Amino acid sequence: MLNLFKIEWLKIKTYRTFWLLFAGFLIFFPTAFYLSAYKYMEMMATSKNFQERVIKTLVEPPFIFPKVWLASAWMGGLFFVLIGMLFILLITNEVHYRTHRQNIIDGWSRMDFLKAKFSMLIFFVAVSTLMVFIMGLIVGYVFSDSNADILSGIKYVGYFALMATLYLMLAFLIAILIKRTGLSIIIYFAIVCIVDNVLWMIFSLRDSQVGYFMPLEAVDSLVPNPFKPAMFEKRTVEDYTLIIAAVAYISVYGFIIINYFRKTDLKT
Amino acid sequence: MAILSIDNLTKNYGAIRALDKVTLSVPAKTIFGILGPNGSGKTTLLGIVMDILKVTSGSYTWAGDQTTDELRKKIGTLLETPNFYHYLSGEDNLKIAAKIKGRGEEDIDKVLQMVNLFERRKSKFNSYSLGMKQRLAIASTLLGNPDILVFDEPTNGLDPAGIAEIREIIKDLNRQGKTIIMASHILDEVEKVCTHVAIIQKGVLKTVGSVSDVLNTSVSNQVNSILIELGAADNALLKNILKQMNGLESISVDEKGIEIVCRENITAEVVNKFCFDNGVVLNKLNVKRKSLETRFLEITGKQSDR
Repeated sequence: MLNLFKIEWLKIKTYRTFWLLFAGFLIFFPTAFYLSAYKYMEMMATSKNFQERVIKTLVEPPFIFPKVWLASAWMGGLFFVLIGMLFILLITNEVHYRTHRQNIIDGWSRMDFLKAKFSMLIFFVAVSTLMVFIMGLIVGYVFSDSNADILSGIKYVGYFALMATLYLMLAFLIAILIKRTGLSIIIYFAIVCIVDNVLWMIFSLRDSQVGYFMPLEAVDSLVPNPFKPAMFEKRTVEDYTLIIAAVAYISVYGFIIINYFRKTDLKT
Repeated sequence: MAILSIDNLTKNYGAIRALDKVTLSVPAKTIFGILGPNGSGKTTLLGIVMDILKVTSGSYTWAGDQTTDELRKKIGTLLETPNFYHYLSGEDNLKIAAKIKGRGEEDIDKVLQMVNLFERRKSKFNSYSLGMKQRLAIASTLLGNPDILVFDEPTNGLDPAGIAEIREIIKDLNRQGKTIIMASHILDEVEKVCTHVAIIQKGVLKTVGSVSDVLNTSVSNQVNSILIELGAADNALLKNILKQMNGLESISVDEKGIEIVCRENITAEVVNKFCFDNGVVLNKLNVKRKSLETRFLEITGKQSDR
């Protein structure tokens, strides 16, 4: 696997679009997270009007320990769509340049090709999770009291890793099936921004809990919006059931990808 | 020993049958040409044996071995078009190919020099001309000095000097004892380069064998004939005289001279003597053996149908 990753790295280390999108995540996420923490804390410290005082009483402060882990994971998730787009691009590029054929002609098995891409997926998840952890730590230390409980919310860093993996597996599946860069990215965004939310709304009518098990909502619910007051939360299903659902989705996507790619004609 | 054995291979694309029960075997150390018109199934055939297309039915084996993933690392293949990462240099593209084949980078400079691309090795692939892209693809096939090479239209996009160079490389590789499988729609290329040929049309294998066997086998119920080109100072007179000759099947005149088709017992000597006896001195006399082109048209028909 490490060997496959090294070859993938050769493919992208001088690819400008890769660095643009990757750096986009690595720069925008920490900057935006730190600045919003700074502005929020400033606003809360001097809150005078009614609206700000309501927020202050209803919402547990998102940028101090332990909730800062959730805030970091949630905001990391917002910027993670950049990585999703990048991952799609790296796969559809191979079809566009027909290099997926050439890699196999040169001696990779079809599974080698998929494993190589999966090694990229692990790389992206690892780097972004590390980023979420570091930003949670930094922002937490800057804005918390010295006696704060640091570790109790750290599970959200793990939830982020799961969320990132599921989002990229969906991107992987779409890219392998659709093959075209533009169309794949459009479909990915449509599912992430619209389809999954519509499904969630339909299946959450009359306080049904089924909506929380929709393909992406399962992980989205694990990392809820930190600015949403806890009293508005209607979810009663346990975290672990959502984790099981997410792992099930990841496995199903993986199964479809492998099954499809091993048997298909590699055309353009 | 057969390097590649193909048994009853059939490939459908939906309702279209691209290959129909093709059976052939490629002997070791030959230059094996796969000849056919555009869209006849040559690339499909090569795509299947390289595992980028899946068979509908039938099977193939490389050197008697069923597992082909590892074997492909020891085959140099150029299929259809040069496939490279556009944003990488020629050299970096070859590094990737070498790594996939499990080789070091020590061959890269050598193969780039062989195809005259060494000076441009640092340039990005998308800045290359069509001919340079093709030469990079050929360089890539030579990585690791493989014993088997597969070329699909290897001289595509090359200028005449480039074509001659590549043909020389191919022949030279064969002299080193390598087996070369080459698909082409250019008859001349197959005739000049190959030792064996398979003719394929609309996915059906029409004939297969050594080039000389394929050339010399006549189509059933058809008498072999030879083609003679000749000319004289007065071609109109020559034509009138030739019309009286026995054994002549057809005669045609154009600005370059006269072509006659006659039975195979007619020799140049007979023609020359006949003309001289009738008062015409030839200034050109050229016996053409039956070319692959003639055979090809006999086999596939004259229409360019697909």
